[in-house]
Amino acid sequence: MKSKALLFVIVALFSVLAFPALAQDGPTEITWFVGLGTGTDTAQLEVQQNVVDAFNASQSDIHVTLNIAPSFETAWDTFATLVAAGTPPDIVGPIGVGGSHRAEWLDIGPYIEELGIDLSVFDPSLVALYETANQGYSGLPLLVYPSVTYYNRDLFDEAGLNYPPAEFGAPYVWPDGTETPWDYNTLIEVAKVLTVDASGNDATSADLDTANIVQYGLNFQWARIRLIWTDLQPENTYYDAATNTVSMPDSWREASHWLQDAIWTHHVMPNRAAAVSEALGAGSDNIFQTGKLGMAITPLWYTCCIGNSVGNFEWDIAPVPASLDGEQHVAADADTFRIPASTQNPDAAAQFLYYLATVGIEQLAPAYGGMPALPDFADSYFEAKDAAYPWGVNWQVVIDSLEHTNSGSQHHESWLPNWSQVYDREFAFQTEVEGDTGADVDVDASLDQLIIDVQSIVDQPAS
Amino acid sequence: MATVDQSHTGALPPEVALVGTKNKSGSLQRQQRIWGWIFLSPWLIGFVIFTAAPIIASFIFTFTRFNLGDGSVTFVGLDNWKMLFSDPLTLTSLGVTFKFALIAIPFWLIVPILVASLLNSKSVKGKPLLRTLFYLPYIVPAVSAIFIWQSVMNTQAGWINRILRLLGVQDPPAWLQNESWILVAFMIIGLWGIGNAMLTTLATMQGVPTELYEAAEVDGAGPITKWRKITLPMISPVVFYNLVLLSIGVMNYFVVPYIVSRGTGQPGQSTYFFNMHLYKTAFAYGNMGYGATLAWLIFAICLLITIVLFATSRRWVYYSSGD
Amino acid sequence: MAAASKEAKSVNTSPFYSHQLRKFAIISIMTMFTFMLVFLFLLPFANMSLISVKTTDQITEGATGLIWPMEPITFSYDGDGDGDLDVYDQFRVPMPDGTIMQLALVQPGRQTSQFLDTANPEAGLITWEGNWRGLDRVTELHPHFENFSTAWNMLDFPKVFRNTLVIALFGMVGTLLSSICVAYAFARFPIPGKNIWFIILIGTIILPSQVTLIPTYAFFAKIGWTGTWLPLIVPHFFANAFNVFLLRQFFMTLPRELDEAAMIDGAGPFKVLTSVIIPQSWAAIIAVGMFHIIFAWNDYFNPLIYLLGQPDLLPISVAVQQFNYQYGPRPELVQATSLMAMVLPVLLFLFAQKVFMRGVVITGVEK
Repeated sequence: MKSKALLFVIVALFSVLAFPALAQDGPTEITWFVGLGTGTDTAQLEVQQNVVDAFNASQSDIHVTLNIAPSFETAWDTFATLVAAGTPPDIVGPIGVGGSHRAEWLDIGPYIEELGIDLSVFDPSLVALYETANQGYSGLPLLVYPSVTYYNRDLFDEAGLNYPPAEFGAPYVWPDGTETPWDYNTLIEVAKVLTVDASGNDATSADLDTANIVQYGLNFQWARIRLIWTDLQPENTYYDAATNTVSMPDSWREASHWLQDAIWTHHVMPNRAAAVSEALGAGSDNIFQTGKLGMAITPLWYTCCIGNSVGNFEWDIAPVPASLDGEQHVAADADTFRIPASTQNPDAAAQFLYYLATVGIEQLAPAYGGMPALPDFADSYFEAKDAAYPWGVNWQVVIDSLEHTNSGSQHHESWLPNWSQVYDREFAFQTEVEGDTGADVDVDASLDQLIIDVQSIVDQPAS
Repeated sequence: MATVDQSHTGALPPEVALVGTKNKSGSLQRQQRIWGWIFLSPWLIGFVIFTAAPIIASFIFTFTRFNLGDGSVTFVGLDNWKMLFSDPLTLTSLGVTFKFALIAIPFWLIVPILVASLLNSKSVKGKPLLRTLFYLPYIVPAVSAIFIWQSVMNTQAGWINRILRLLGVQDPPAWLQNESWILVAFMIIGLWGIGNAMLTTLATMQGVPTELYEAAEVDGAGPITKWRKITLPMISPVVFYNLVLLSIGVMNYFVVPYIVSRGTGQPGQSTYFFNMHLYKTAFAYGNMGYGATLAWLIFAICLLITIVLFATSRRWVYYSSGD
Repeated sequence: MAAASKEAKSVNTSPFYSHQLRKFAIISIMTMFTFMLVFLFLLPFANMSLISVKTTDQITEGATGLIWPMEPITFSYDGDGDGDLDVYDQFRVPMPDGTIMQLALVQPGRQTSQFLDTANPEAGLITWEGNWRGLDRVTELHPHFENFSTAWNMLDFPKVFRNTLVIALFGMVGTLLSSICVAYAFARFPIPGKNIWFIILIGTIILPSQVTLIPTYAFFAKIGWTGTWLPLIVPHFFANAFNVFLLRQFFMTLPRELDEAAMIDGAGPFKVLTSVIIPQSWAAIIAVGMFHIIFAWNDYFNPLIYLLGQPDLLPISVAVQQFNYQYGPRPELVQATSLMAMVLPVLLFLFAQKVFMRGVVITGVEK
């Protein structure tokens, strides 16, 4: 019987050790969960911690703790499990448009009034992104990230190429003076010159050794397939809410073939294996940062994560190419902070949300790379960015891009039922094409299967 | 279960004898029984709380849709069971799992036997060192092992492909990004875990009475004949035990694909194992009721596999006729 | 069979010296083969060790050819005359006159590139025709052992070790206390239906864990134990089939005469356990303890789900994985942390391998 007594002593001892928080009396403890969008890069961690420390020091009623998810891919699993276990974080973000479909969020409408937030200072189209079905709001527009074309100036210089156009509507000028419209065909041609193998042949040459490419021309850095489709052509016919049916727009079929060709026929885009190879992506897929990628098309948040480029090469940004219809469209991400509906501390969370939106954002926006939605902060944002990348990046492109952004229904993260499962299934298609056997994939058959699977996911009762 | 029975009954006689001597006094016998229950109680309680009750509970869950967050439970009848057939990922993930079982189990079963045979051979010197070295990777935490192998299997820089190129393979595969090769890659990673199987096989081989080999030699049997006719039957119970554990283990396979594919099952759906489907369904998509249904499906499959294995074991597993 | 026996006889009748020679040859070949095999088997460790002392640049630069941690030798010079020193990589450049010069690459180009002579930079730029990508870089051996201290601090190893040790040691105490009791019950006491209980116990080994996963998780969530170490420790206080089996097998080999002698001296069952059984069973008990520590060190799934959102409580398995996801672009840190994570279990195994392997054999063979 002694052993049992010992057992209980140990269990009791442990219970005490495990719940030190319960013994304390003091400020409301809330958790800020990061990882569903940007925010997990080393430099960002520091800024976020500074903001939290400043908030904790500024008052004594609320104490905020940061909780960082380790990787984007598993962050949603982590968040969903925390909610499922009844221990949800109190505030979540930065989190994009798609995030609103993946969980239940608190309607912050009442707090907007209580805290005295004036919504009219924001661009109305941005505010609309966060409107909920019951006319409330699940977030405040905080950060906008239009897609741009990042390019490595040093690699263009080495190849003797002119830089991409600096303005919307301007053509691309080849070294011999000919001009071609800045579209996805031109992009491939430019990318061919920038794709080089170990012995120096580029992708315009028949001698290109595809097994030993040491520098690629183009990548949609960290973009998921629906963003790539939308970059090539925004569409609002993917999901029809009235009939609850999913269909594949023809332009997205074309875009999928374009993607497969770019990777496997022209070899100007790294496949999965190349992107995570130690030589190009340093074992992860941050290939633009290693200086071995000519151009990357991705939203503005990518400025978060090219800090290591400083001192190694100079980069700049250009408008995204014209879409398949010949028009200029810009797919933009928009981030906010949200409060899970199941939080136990909604008041404290709302106060912290207000702090983030009005004070913290000044430090956070440059760290996240997002253009602040509040015009007041735009100047300090560009100043901070210029200080970080002192060779002079053409930030006017960002401002111009905002005029071309897609409408909400064409957004690359627009709603359909069981969004997370659809998102995962779409990604499986993407990795199929990007994976080592992507050249042999029958894109049309694979897309047909994708639509069948997505339709059956959409048909399932919401979980 | 036969292997278990064997050792058990083999151990019974002395105990029976003891009980017999104590049988003089009924109250002493009763007292012994009570003490027996007391000492058994930690497991009995644990069995009820952590095994029996959860199995029953998860069966009940299969008829519900429930949310842990707000504690709501809705009975949905057979909806979850019907969903097994409409959910495309169930078939996909079962397919991946069975395909992997076919690729991995033969290697995971045979390689330890071959290594044990080498270490049991009179012609190999330095056995204690070799045994330790072959066992060593088993101790390496799975997470470390996976990151080590990810680097070794890197397309360009990985040592496997460097060696293959040296051997003249022009275009070695991108092991972990290739839908066809990635399961082979997982099998290779799993070979680092042969330690236990190798050791138990080796110990059984060393336990084979030398007279058997001597008698065979008198009959003129060569080393291969001796291995086939004596060693193999004698180790068959251990091989059988390993096969059962491996089959259940593959049905539970999770950590390697989860870490390598970062929970996505990529490339394509080639590493979307059944257990990953279950994990995603229950935890990432928050559908615990359907998750429990998936768990029961795999439970039933495991049970079936075990029954089939035990039923066929009589044909090929050799049991010595007791001590 | 006939052919085999003929062959065997021909060996037996061969002259003595040639027989010895042949035996020696077989031993050499077999031993060499086995060592080759184990060398290949353990090769990934070498890869890990080498990568863990490189820098990220060394890895990206060396990935296509180099194995050793070589570092490019750079040349600092104010090449563009703006007053700041610029850093250039050095290459071995074959010159038109057939000599090879060590030059610094200032402006790479597809057809021609501009170099500086490192010995005489004032002489100005040298234009070289050809493809600079085909040139050899000038490098030197430079391992970076500081990666280990960097990773140690970044991952906060002391905290992670503490977490893992607390989980492992408390769980070990739990599994030892309970498994010893249960094994003692199975080995020595006349319990009704003992055979059936024992079969059920062993049956739990082949029970797939998913079937109990969701209710168990729900249960721990309900009583508020998710986000604490309790779900990782408390279940071990209720014995485990492998450990019970091992200990029971061991206890049954102990002679009963000693039990009986102690009982005649008035010892109760508990006293017999502590003063007779346990003192004779240290080998098995240590093996069980070690199994548990290795298990706890390795366990990934349980801490993953129960300690979600508790970065300060994570044990080494999940902490290393999360760190390595976060610092994926730094392969050297990934490999350094992987190496540090395995040191303790490997050392433990090497020091106590006899006891350890014996335990494995008892559980694996005798079933």
